[in-house]
Amino acid sequence: MAKDPRVTRIEDLPGPKCKEELEEMKMPYEEYCKAQFDPGNEPSKPNALNGIRWMSTTMYIFTPHSVSNLAEMGAEVIKVEMPRMGDPMRHCAPFNETYLYPLHDSRPMTGTGMGYLNANPNEYHITMDYHLPELKEAFYALVKMSDGLTECYRPGTFDRWKQSYRYVQEMNPRFIYVWGGGFGYGPKCFGGSYDILGQAHAGLASVTGFHESVGGHATKHSNWCIDWYSGTQITFGILAALHWRRKTGLGTMIEFSQVQAATRCLGYAAPLYGRFGIVRQRWGNWDTQLCAHGIILCGKSDFPDAENPQDRLEARYAMISAFQDEDWKELCAITGNNDLFDKYKSHNERVEAEAQIEIYAALEKWAEDKSRAEVVKVCQDAGLLAEPVCNDREYYENEHWRMRGSVRWMDDPIFGDILQHGTYSAGLMAKTPRQLNWIWRPVGADNVKIYHELLGYPTSTIEEWYEKAWL
Amino acid sequence: MCDIIWCKKDFEGKPCNTINYLDPYCFWNWEGTINCAECGAVYYIHMIQGKMYRGPEDRPGETPDTSPLYADKPLDGYRFYGAGIEGRTRPFECLPRHIYLGVPDMVKFSIRGRPVRGHRPQPPSAGIAGSYGFNWDIKKLSPDLYEEYQQKLKNGEVKDW
Repeated sequence: MAKDPRVTRIEDLPGPKCKEELEEMKMPYEEYCKAQFDPGNEPSKPNALNGIRWMSTTMYIFTPHSVSNLAEMGAEVIKVEMPRMGDPMRHCAPFNETYLYPLHDSRPMTGTGMGYLNANPNEYHITMDYHLPELKEAFYALVKMSDGLTECYRPGTFDRWKQSYRYVQEMNPRFIYVWGGGFGYGPKCFGGSYDILGQAHAGLASVTGFHESVGGHATKHSNWCIDWYSGTQITFGILAALHWRRKTGLGTMIEFSQVQAATRCLGYAAPLYGRFGIVRQRWGNWDTQLCAHGIILCGKSDFPDAENPQDRLEARYAMISAFQDEDWKELCAITGNNDLFDKYKSHNERVEAEAQIEIYAALEKWAEDKSRAEVVKVCQDAGLLAEPVCNDREYYENEHWRMRGSVRWMDDPIFGDILQHGTYSAGLMAKTPRQLNWIWRPVGADNVKIYHELLGYPTSTIEEWYEKAWL
Repeated sequence: MCDIIWCKKDFEGKPCNTINYLDPYCFWNWEGTINCAECGAVYYIHMIQGKMYRGPEDRPGETPDTSPLYADKPLDGYRFYGAGIEGRTRPFECLPRHIYLGVPDMVKFSIRGRPVRGHRPQPPSAGIAGSYGFNWDIKKLSPDLYEEYQQKLKNGEVKDW
């Protein structure tokens, strides 16, 4: 605004202020988005969390992912691993075999497994046996220079080692301390956690999969989705804590139970029980609120001659949605089920359990001589919402995701050519996008950078500690 | 595990009672002699597709061709021999295998034909406390792979997607 409110300046008026902005305003929305997000050109843009330094004393997927979110958005993350061994997740991989060599100088014939992917990108990897009294000074030095720490040990372990929040806040009052683990404080304080434990104990697995009456069982997701989800929830906590610190100048402690986190995605389950005493059940690929709105099995695969069984046998599922009355009428018409429309005219009628069993059986009967693509095309041509259930390869080959850059090839500086879908699928940001600089580094790869260049220890001390396997 | 050899030979005045585990990485299709990790007794086995076709037969006095990956003594509580104890067990080398044939098949190129560090051995670190540089100079550090890559480029086998 001009100082004199009676003065009208061009820059205070709405609309474009220069030729470039005018061009931008005239762009079709597609072009505008392409120019804004500019996939592949992320390194030329700034990092939102530049200046934040975070310590990651984490393992596996859940807690590392809470920090990898920060690292992808520009924080300097120091991942501290066990000397010689590294994060146990490095040793978990498909087929129990490792693919990316080397793991560490002392284990030249061992590599890191692919299970470690996406949970620790852009991080500096150091080793430290931080429970040793001799290394407390180095650990505390890092605490004093960092904004926060995420750890995943059993509750009280870091307290016993004199590096819990009670201790570190004394040396750095702005420090944000995150504990992420199984059950948190309470009667089950010492219970550990895994993704499957979280899914099972929180009630999520009990409502996943088909009901036993139609051949289903309580099911966990194939991937460790609660690890990834809980880690992201922690990142939210960290960002809120950073905002709180900007206002108060004080750090905080975040205590995050993975097992309780899974209940968040159960939606209305607890309120439903509280009001009606109804315990929610599994409903598989159908929906308890909407019908028709589910995934059906088609008779023929889209790739009957493919070598890969996942293509040859599994490309047979299609998602169909037609729950509004006019859509439902159309679906019944194109599938030859007009009698179903007469029977279940209102949504209240067709969303009932017995009705859904009949409806989906009829839809699958209609689809039993069709391929997935045929089913989807018939529905889409009729103006209904329908999509094939795709696998990883189809995702990779999909032009839409390639154009947006959410799946892309990357030449990792150490490990070479890597196909990536993690970083860039987690949402686009126009001004400060996520960036993937490297997928990870070998165990202790940045020992000199951190101990010598950041903390100032002489290389002779570092070598001495290394010989003793303290690093 | 494909199978086990439960050694019951007398050893130091009592039965050896050691279970030697025959892992599929090595023994899926295999013929030869193998030692007991505890007493060193030598057995001959012939395995076809993970099944014990012949053996185990005693071969006293012979030098074993290989060792089990792992062995334990379940009757002695938690006593065991982990992988890679010289003269007793074989190191676990984690070699990626061809999915059907089981032979070592380390990936050197991605599906679009560009080099990956999915194979070993790899050159050692920069030397101080396991530190690594930030770039894998393929021409300098993996010259064989570089040559192979140049050939692929010439043959037009390197794609963008």
